Amino acid sequence: MDSQATVSQADIERLSDKDKADLRQVLAKEEQRNFVQQQSHTFTEICWKKCITSNIKSNVLDSSEGNCLANCVERFFDVTITTQKHLSAMRNQAGH
Amino acid sequence: MDSESVKKAIIRQVIMEANVQNSRHLVEKINETCFDKCIAKPGSSISNGEKTCATQCMEKYMAAWNLVNQTYMRRVQQEINSGTFSS
Repeated sequence: MDSQATVSQADIERLSDKDKADLRQVLAKEEQRNFVQQQSHTFTEICWKKCITSNIKSNVLDSSEGNCLANCVERFFDVTITTQKHLSAMRNQAGH
Repeated sequence: MDSESVKKAIIRQVIMEANVQNSRHLVEKINETCFDKCIAKPGSSISNGEKTCATQCMEKYMAAWNLVNQTYMRRVQQEINSGTFSS
């Protein structure tokens, strides 16, 4: 455990309304950051498979690997948006 | 503890836990990926070539993660600015 005091239930009850509101905001942001990081893990896994196809000969990405990774993320995003749009079009059609 | 220090302590702990979780996840992915890439046929002991491959693969995977993360965040920002998520 680190030197700083841990937070108890009693401490939490001592939070002012302003600090509670601050906390909610910080935690919502933190949740967003975590979501992006989780997505980054998923995309790195998917795009590594597509882009790093040869044997490992260096500890850095060469320019074609780097380009491929960036394109891979962009295209994955495109597919997500396209799927979403088509899905809502299908939903609208089914509604008629 | 006063309210201000309780708030700060909570924030600090939440961020720390998230970072630990994130690096654990990264290490897990690195192990999977680099084992796959570097140990084609598991022998009776690890070779120097396999070790070199594993460390290079690790650094490369981290670079890939950073690039993917940057690209992803830039794209999200771009989509927010153009209103894709607002409707």
